[in-house]
Amino acid sequence: MIRAYELTKRYGDTTVVQDLDFTVRPGTVTGFLGPNGAGKSTTMRMLLGLDSPTRGRSTIGGRAYAAHSAPLSEVGALLEARSVHPGRTAFNHLMALAHTHGIPRSRVEHALDLAGLTAVAHKRIKGFSLGMGQRLGIAAALLGDPATLILDEPVNGLDPEGVLWIRNLLRSLAQQGRTVFVSSHLMSEMALTADHLIIVGRGRLLADTTVADFVATAGGTSVKVVTPQAHALRELLTGPGIEITPGPATPPDRLEVRGTDAAHIGRTAAAHAIPLYELTPQTASLEQAFMDLTQESVEYRIATPEPTGALA
Amino acid sequence: MTAAVSHPGRRPNQNPCRVTTTRVLRSEWHKLRSLRSSWITLISASVLVLAIGLVMGATYTSGGGDSDVDTVVLVLYGSVLGTLCTVVLGILVTAGEYSTGLIRASLTAVPRRLPVLWAKAAVFTVTVFVVMFTTALLTFVVAQLFLHDTDQAASLSDPGVFGAVVGNSVGITLLSLVALGLGALIRSVPGAIGAFVGGVMILPEVLSMLPYDVVKSTVKYFPTQAAGALGSATPLPGEAPVDGALLALCLWAGATLCAAALLLRRRDA
Repeated sequence: MIRAYELTKRYGDTTVVQDLDFTVRPGTVTGFLGPNGAGKSTTMRMLLGLDSPTRGRSTIGGRAYAAHSAPLSEVGALLEARSVHPGRTAFNHLMALAHTHGIPRSRVEHALDLAGLTAVAHKRIKGFSLGMGQRLGIAAALLGDPATLILDEPVNGLDPEGVLWIRNLLRSLAQQGRTVFVSSHLMSEMALTADHLIIVGRGRLLADTTVADFVATAGGTSVKVVTPQAHALRELLTGPGIEITPGPATPPDRLEVRGTDAAHIGRTAAAHAIPLYELTPQTASLEQAFMDLTQESVEYRIATPEPTGALA
Repeated sequence: MTAAVSHPGRRPNQNPCRVTTTRVLRSEWHKLRSLRSSWITLISASVLVLAIGLVMGATYTSGGGDSDVDTVVLVLYGSVLGTLCTVVLGILVTAGEYSTGLIRASLTAVPRRLPVLWAKAAVFTVTVFVVMFTTALLTFVVAQLFLHDTDQAASLSDPGVFGAVVGNSVGITLLSLVALGLGALIRSVPGAIGAFVGGVMILPEVLSMLPYDVVKSTVKYFPTQAAGALGSATPLPGEAPVDGALLALCLWAGATLCAAALLLRRRDA
């Protein structure tokens, strides 16, 4: 169980994390989601006592991280930035960490095996690919057989096989009753892995919800309608709670209807003899819902040029 | 103490895997010996001292320009270059962890932080002293094979000689410990090397050129000068007495380490 109480981090005038309150429960995979620069890594570093919060506090397993007598057995962490000496071999890197807790050599070998690194265990980390570096980070996180895992962007740099491996690993760790807290900026990845979501933007909490609820509420469903009499159908459908959007980029014969279902639209059209070429219920894309939510808080926005008269 | 590892949901009071001083020491020893750079710097230091000592011994002629030089100083001329190597190692031990990011893993494993610094200092001090003392003894004995029929003939049992050989190694070790502390303070390998060369090696030389007696009597207690005083069998004019030099050097190393410790506690990693 991870708990954050009004966690706040300021660097001078810049507030990176502001008043974050959340709970990460055991037995589930909790996704920590937000665009780049949302404060995810800073929050994770504060949980691990690497950065001290300007205000607020956090506990893991009931006490501050630094108060644990065997932190690696309590929490396994993968930090976004590489935290290894490239001149050491993978085995020696893990063994040096293991020595601090008296973790036996067999456990180091087991962790290397779990991460699929046995073949390169005695190679220097210098020659590792990004994906192998991530695997080594995971092996380090699993070293102490911890009850809680805090992983910053674990799928970064992994190939599809590696991504699948992480996904299954996280799920099985959660099934064993562990607390699994994973950050990502990829909504689609989290939708496949996580049960619960904590979404942040510009250091503030935007949502604390389950994946299912997020899908249901943030996006909702709409119906795509293609008809030669779009204007007429639009007038017939208009009513309370019904939202019709002909997107600016969509052709004039196309409507996107929210607040009613395909059956109702079909019946209305048939009653007025309006031909329909297409009637498709659509589930909102998670990626879109995530972008809608975090739109206001994206740090580095890509400027979209406004269509101007001169260009049109 | 029932299980070898903790299990999810269990709240161990007496975790068999808890962090202890001995374990942090073992970890730092493992870190030191598992890097090529440690071996390269230590072997270089040793080889330089030995080689220069041999050259000094083999090329010495009685009544030459070096007759007034202290025997131990003469034989261990290579210490200056050897110190450079161990200084670099000291900086790599601390600042090297920051430049690679390993410090985040180290401090996650030992979140109380200070044991990491103390263990690094302890392991480094013992290692450098053992290597440099062995080297100095060997160099002295071998160089004396050439010097036995000159006016620089000396034996380890002569007054002050063994003490100076020990003092030479103590000096190198403490100077390198200052470098280790600087590495932890500055957290950058090039930055710390620059600070050591500028602040510890060059600055006192510049200061001692100033025509003030106060400055001269202070500068002799600066790290490099104090280390020099420790490695001489006969007290040299203008140098600090051995006990004073040793105390000064210990204080320099202690102060640097304490400053590093204070900042290690306060700064974000």
